[in-house]
Amino acid sequence: MTVATIDGSTIIGESILISGSLNGDEDLTVRGRVEGTLTLTKTLVVEPTGVVKAEVQVRNCIISGAIVGNVTASESVEITREGRMVGDISSPRVIIVDGASFRGRIDMGEVDVEAERETRAVISRPAPLPSRPALRPAPRPAPVERKVEEKTVAVAAPKPPVPPAPVAMGAVKRKVIVKRK
Amino acid sequence: MAGIEKVPAPRSGAHTVIGSSIVIDGEISGDEDLVIQGTVKGRISLRESLYVEGSGVIEADIETANVEVSGQVTGNIAASDKVELKADCKVVGDIRAPRILIADGALFKGNVDMDVKETKGK
Repeated sequence: MTVATIDGSTIIGESILISGSLNGDEDLTVRGRVEGTLTLTKTLVVEPTGVVKAEVQVRNCIISGAIVGNVTASESVEITREGRMVGDISSPRVIIVDGASFRGRIDMGEVDVEAERETRAVISRPAPLPSRPALRPAPRPAPVERKVEEKTVAVAAPKPPVPPAPVAMGAVKRKVIVKRK
Repeated sequence: MAGIEKVPAPRSGAHTVIGSSIVIDGEISGDEDLVIQGTVKGRISLRESLYVEGSGVIEADIETANVEVSGQVTGNIAASDKVELKADCKVVGDIRAPRILIADGALFKGNVDMDVKETKGK
């Protein structure tokens, strides 16, 4: 699915206020205000000008505007750089990016504690430099001998695995406060 | 979403579209054009135009500047400018507006009042 197109999907314009309940089976883009309850079987996109003060129940939720209220998503919730939210999130996938502001609880459902501990242990070791690897220069074209050397070094100090989605992983069932100005 | 037919003509200034699978129970208010392809129950008050498309179903009192109905409306309509009932529309309720157009093929039941002298009173 691509980004919601203008025709065929529902858009709540900037000057529109809907109060009450809103149900639907299609994508919804909110640029205005919605208050009450909002239930969709597809994706809710709250654009930067959008304000939702409602109990939200959707499949996917992408927040670039503001949501005050609890969000239950069957697939994912994403709070983008411009997104602000106060309320609880219940969703198996929660993505909160740098710059987003959020206050509330996150529940990702049944989390296998054993498995989580293991992954955490693996993650916590290389944690000090979570995003550095990307900034490193591409592997230099080096003579074959040196390559071999590097390889051995690499084995001794294993490269950190790809860092997981920012923030959310450790946030399960715990009060999280992410605030950046 | 393949099955959904396009809005006949992209209307200028219509930023808000309530799609055909959307059901709203409550109140809609705003200062811009509104296109309804879905279902709205409750109340609609706008300062611009309301377009009820063929698939649109409204059970609400409507208060706007302009209304253009191709779908179904049950409820009273009060417009400060114009109400237009297109062919194939179904409207039950009272209409109050200085200009009212009813096209051939439109179904309508209710009272019509064109004697609206806004601000001056009756």
